[in-house]
Amino acid sequence: MSQPKEIFVRTDRCVGCRSCINACAVEHSESKTLFGAVMQTPRPKSRVYVEWVAPDRKVPLVCRQCEEAPCMHACISGAIHRDDDGVVRTDSDKCIGCWTCVMVCPYGVIGRHLEEHKAYRCDRCPDRDVPACVSACPTGALIYQSVPAYAKTVRQNASHELVKAERG
Amino acid sequence: MGREQSQYVIVGGSAAGMAAAQAIREKDPTGTITVISEEPDAPYFRPLIPFLVSGKKQAHEMVLEGCGPYQAAGITVNTGSRAAALDANNHCIVLEDGTRLGYKKILLATGSRPYVPPDIEGADATGVFALRTLDDARRMAARIDQTEHAVMLGGGLLNLKAAFALLERGVKVTLVVYSPEVLSQLMDPEDATLIRKALDDAGLAIMTGVAAVGIQSDATGVTGVVLNNGRELASQMVCIGKGVRPNVEFLAGSGIRVTEGIEADRYTATNLTGVYTAGDVAVTHDPVAGTPIMTALWTNAVEMGRCAGQNMAGLKTAYCGTFGILNATQVANEPFVAMGIVHTKDGDYEIHRKAATGSYRKLVFDKNGDHLIGAVFVGDITNAGLYRYVIREKMATAAIKRQIIEHTLHYGHFSF
Repeated sequence: MSQPKEIFVRTDRCVGCRSCINACAVEHSESKTLFGAVMQTPRPKSRVYVEWVAPDRKVPLVCRQCEEAPCMHACISGAIHRDDDGVVRTDSDKCIGCWTCVMVCPYGVIGRHLEEHKAYRCDRCPDRDVPACVSACPTGALIYQSVPAYAKTVRQNASHELVKAERG
Repeated sequence: MGREQSQYVIVGGSAAGMAAAQAIREKDPTGTITVISEEPDAPYFRPLIPFLVSGKKQAHEMVLEGCGPYQAAGITVNTGSRAAALDANNHCIVLEDGTRLGYKKILLATGSRPYVPPDIEGADATGVFALRTLDDARRMAARIDQTEHAVMLGGGLLNLKAAFALLERGVKVTLVVYSPEVLSQLMDPEDATLIRKALDDAGLAIMTGVAAVGIQSDATGVTGVVLNNGRELASQMVCIGKGVRPNVEFLAGSGIRVTEGIEADRYTATNLTGVYTAGDVAVTHDPVAGTPIMTALWTNAVEMGRCAGQNMAGLKTAYCGTFGILNATQVANEPFVAMGIVHTKDGDYEIHRKAATGSYRKLVFDKNGDHLIGAVFVGDITNAGLYRYVIREKMATAAIKRQIIEHTLHYGHFSF
């Protein structure tokens, strides 16, 4: 069985360019084109956030698809479920906009679509092999890999750094 | 009647009971699970019942099975079945029809029922409701055609939701509130200003500081409500939202320790072996105030029910307790969140308030200003979950206090 993939965030690489935000909004627009997305009313919403921590750190935030997902268990209308791929999804038709999920998400990554009175969140781009935010990231701050594969990359990078340091 | 046997018996088929059943099934794929529910309907999402009144949803759209995390695999639900007594010595629950159902582990998740103040005369008339069950909602919806004016007694969230459901059906609605302001359980009167304005703008008539003393009726049912200020309101429907009381009567003589509700230890267990409790009926503890507490909230009930289910299935799991106040919703297009300690009149707290057009927030720190212990957000509820986390985990707030007060806290502040 292949390992499920996760979106990993390398905050040391994020430059705060917001490419991920634009790509996410475009992917979740009707036309899936930048021009169409900008013209759409209400504007399509991004489900990835880039926050800033003083003095100069940028932190991309995206739904972690928590194993014991607080939003899913707190939902009072049964709108949130985990699909066969392990992705936690909000069913807009069932969402009643009570914002209980917003109240319990410890990452703050559930958005509120005020015009439609619905909560929205990362759905890992079901129509794509690689989520749009990851594809759009120009610096490799967002990485879509399985846990073992990512761990291996981190280990390799660390050993390269060590070897470089030893060589001076 | 004969004796039946089930490894796990769950008394109560709502939030806590069904969450427990699901949690047990996740840990124990084979143990038999039997849920006893006194309601005629299969388990459903109780918070959705106002939508049956408004007509926005049908009953079949509220069923639990197959929705959210509820798979219901191998869980037997006996509806219309009511527990009469617990025979803990013989590991049996006795049902009203005389059946004895044996168990190895049992969960008491019998929930609560509406409290109807005994000093309101005539509250048994046709057309008087306490919106609690799907059946209540059906009966309420059926009376809308003959209702021009409905009077809601109590200014809590449930009554507000019922009021808006009726408004959407074109019924004139008056909310009669004994407290100085609506939502008095969830916030201080001055914190409710924005919400009150939104309710007024939405066309809800609100009378505060008054109570009903009697309900008048004739052969057609309710005809009016008499208030303690001498006024009478002509009305064809009354909805009582005066809080709830735990369903514990069947436990008399069982040996279960009941104070107001059933006392739960840190692992959701009662004082008797193999007997657990969760949800509205359980007395747990408030991690912020450190006091015993009962809540009547779906979200809390699910969290505690899951914890109980895990303990019953053999995975010892501590319950982290719940805030007395924990609620999020939107009424009259005004979203709000209230959590932790929000009533600050009688106590020594450090309070930060900020009001702006369309938004209001209040942050309550302990008297030393070291820990966030409560928050009310109206209008803008962004990142409320982070504040809940800070409160519940009793985080030292020195490094993030400015962000908390300015409402700029985000997860980036927690990492590294």
